[in-house]
Amino acid sequence: MDLFNNLIFGFGVAFSLQNLLYCAIGVTVGTLIGVLPGIGPLATIAMLLPLTFNVPPVAALIMLAGIYYGAQYGGSTTAILVNLPGETSAVVTCIDGHQMARQGRAGPALAIAAIGSFVAGTFGTLLIAIAGPPLAEVALKFGAPEYFALMLMGLVAAAVLSTGDMAKSLAMVAMGLLLGIVGTDVNTGVQRFSFGVAELSDGIGFIVIAVGVFAIGEIVINLGNPEERRFFTDKIGRLMPSAEDLKKSLAPILRGTALGSFFGVLPGTGPAIASFSSYMLEKKVAKDPSRFGHGAIEGVAGPESANNADAQCKFIPMLTLGLPASGVMALMLGALTIQGIQPGPEVMTTRPELFWGLIASMWIGNALLVILNLPMIGLWVKLLKVPYRLLFPAIMAFSAVGIYSVNNSSFDIYLTALFGIVGFIWLKLGCNPAPMLLGYVLGPMMEEHLRRAMLMSKGDPSVFVTRPLALAFVLATVAILVIMVLPAVKARREVIQG
Amino acid sequence: MPKLRSLLLAAVALMALTAPGAAQSDYPNRAIRMVIPFPPGGSNDVVGRMVSTALGEKLGRQIIVDNRAGAGGSIGTAMVATAPPDGYTLGVVSIAHAVNPWMYKLPYDPKAFAPVGLMATGTNVLVIHPSLPVRSVKELVALAKQKPGELQYASAGVGSFQHLGTELFKLEAGIDLLHVPFKGGGPSMNDVLGGHTKIMMSSLVQTTPHIKSGRLLALATGGKKRNPVLPDVPTVAEAGVPTYEALNWWGIVAPAGTPQAIIDKLNAALSQVQDMPDVQKQFDLQGAAVQKMSPADFGKFVLTEMARWERVVKQANIKAQ
Repeated sequence: MDLFNNLIFGFGVAFSLQNLLYCAIGVTVGTLIGVLPGIGPLATIAMLLPLTFNVPPVAALIMLAGIYYGAQYGGSTTAILVNLPGETSAVVTCIDGHQMARQGRAGPALAIAAIGSFVAGTFGTLLIAIAGPPLAEVALKFGAPEYFALMLMGLVAAAVLSTGDMAKSLAMVAMGLLLGIVGTDVNTGVQRFSFGVAELSDGIGFIVIAVGVFAIGEIVINLGNPEERRFFTDKIGRLMPSAEDLKKSLAPILRGTALGSFFGVLPGTGPAIASFSSYMLEKKVAKDPSRFGHGAIEGVAGPESANNADAQCKFIPMLTLGLPASGVMALMLGALTIQGIQPGPEVMTTRPELFWGLIASMWIGNALLVILNLPMIGLWVKLLKVPYRLLFPAIMAFSAVGIYSVNNSSFDIYLTALFGIVGFIWLKLGCNPAPMLLGYVLGPMMEEHLRRAMLMSKGDPSVFVTRPLALAFVLATVAILVIMVLPAVKARREVIQG
Repeated sequence: MPKLRSLLLAAVALMALTAPGAAQSDYPNRAIRMVIPFPPGGSNDVVGRMVSTALGEKLGRQIIVDNRAGAGGSIGTAMVATAPPDGYTLGVVSIAHAVNPWMYKLPYDPKAFAPVGLMATGTNVLVIHPSLPVRSVKELVALAKQKPGELQYASAGVGSFQHLGTELFKLEAGIDLLHVPFKGGGPSMNDVLGGHTKIMMSSLVQTTPHIKSGRLLALATGGKKRNPVLPDVPTVAEAGVPTYEALNWWGIVAPAGTPQAIIDKLNAALSQVQDMPDVQKQFDLQGAAVQKMSPADFGKFVLTEMARWERVVKQANIKAQ
């Protein structure tokens, strides 16, 4: 069997002492930057790129890849422990993961995040090995109309599935859409809502909003409730998830992995979409959706699996077609070029040691991450015992450093403080900031793709039904709406007949 | 008291007279900051970091790279403009530096810099998706004249090279193509590879792998001479639009008023860096070639570039703010 032989060959490459060492360095650095908010894999890889000039290509790529997927593991740690999304993709993990920590279940939350990530990473790697090239070809078929239809489906699903106060949720989505508009319009280059401030001309950074609203806002709220100061119980409880936790998490992990793999292959989707979709799906299929937002382990298992599957599958277009699906992948291509390797479909045949070696190293890297993360859980959880008078200033300081490091801009720190106040007001008013972030992420992408689709079709909206892939997503959107409305209709009919 | 004051004034005047001289003879005596007005990872960053490292070794002082991204590169460039002109703050400039004055209201005078030198120039390639039924620039121009405004080209965004380089092509060839902007070079390339938009002018390094694999066809290169990487591909000028020439370029500037002795020292060190085979090889891999210029020539070069893109921005009626 060809695949089997290739994999054995790959493991032979990856298990060399040098490559193992670079893999370990990569995932360790990745975990570290994942834990720290603001410092993302993109900037880290860019800084480390010159150091890889003198490293053999396979080892360089293995290390850089390790930083990237290692960050997905680390991002969940701060999200769960202190409600601070270490990476963009970990925002959703904050919602239930942090609630679990407040209930003294930080251990199981961290463990399930690591286990889910491992399952997803393994599956994603397998997918690259088996079906990479054909999947990348399918992804190329996605043009502007397809992306718009796909995102429309996502937003409709999110709106329909959200629970709680509908009016408040919608208002928060609208707020997110407005925040997403700030900056330079892609189609015309016109500035929108930047008020002549040069720093706003590229929009408001995701990490600025996420840290401001989630972390700073949360800290202020906590300081306002002196009687609840000790929300982390002194008794941390068991570190490992119980059999029941594992049973509850199995299906979400598998579903999250599938969703993450799907979004991962598509170049036009950002890292947060996979985890948001997974969270929405879990909330929908749950027997008791009201548990979500109050420490449901499914709300950690699904999204954490989804974001790691997404990260892994972003390699598919890069490795098989030489296409950068994200900024990080563009840097990986750059790393290959610097090594004198022309990225593209030929890499698989001309440099098999690179392709299969990297794939095998991802397996090893994911295993290393579990080894690195699981025993660390006890240590992380101990961090929660640090008194607030030390913990809160430390969080603020780390956040400020992280945010500053994104653009070397002190303006971003002021903006984060402003969003901290805004987040505090929202929380006081009982407005959940998560729908706002969804609007912020999806809105500008939808606008960009819609306007591009209209530009290319010269204003003819039929592109959404004449292109088969776009039509499929439009039909799915209609189906979601129908399924949601039907139970209500049925219930009414029963009332009438009764 | 008046005596003390005049003494102090004299001392200050003396210091002002001697300080630059002292600074020049032992320049550099501390680390130098190189502002790159784009985020890590792009061509400006790769080129700037590579040269900064080597330049620092030649000068015997570390050069610290400072990425100050935002607003099409104008935030970082503004920092260079307002930095003290002592040779300890330098900036990487690229074609965006010659485009921005005509696109945005800048917080600095774009001509008020002390040019240090050109680092390198890069070739762009006019590529099409094979489903477009043309195989040469002449056929493309003929098809575009048949269907004005129907053919679509992708770019990395309003004001990007991919945008302005193609707008220049449109002006010189007398054709009308529809501009489809994307957020960055990667997404636009993906779209062209998928055959959704079918025309793009992009860097050698981004297009070469896809030209070699046959997913894209190269119609022409944008420089004055053929590029050694694609020796069979004609220049746009050879292929039927004789007045066309546009290159990517990267250079170094210092704040206006930086002493000439420091500029000359930097230019000489840069020239040595450009002779290093290692550096040349790295530029090759980026699809770029080192090119030397004296500070004065580089200053003239920037002005020529500004004039070129002023014309394109105004004639193509590109507006930003």
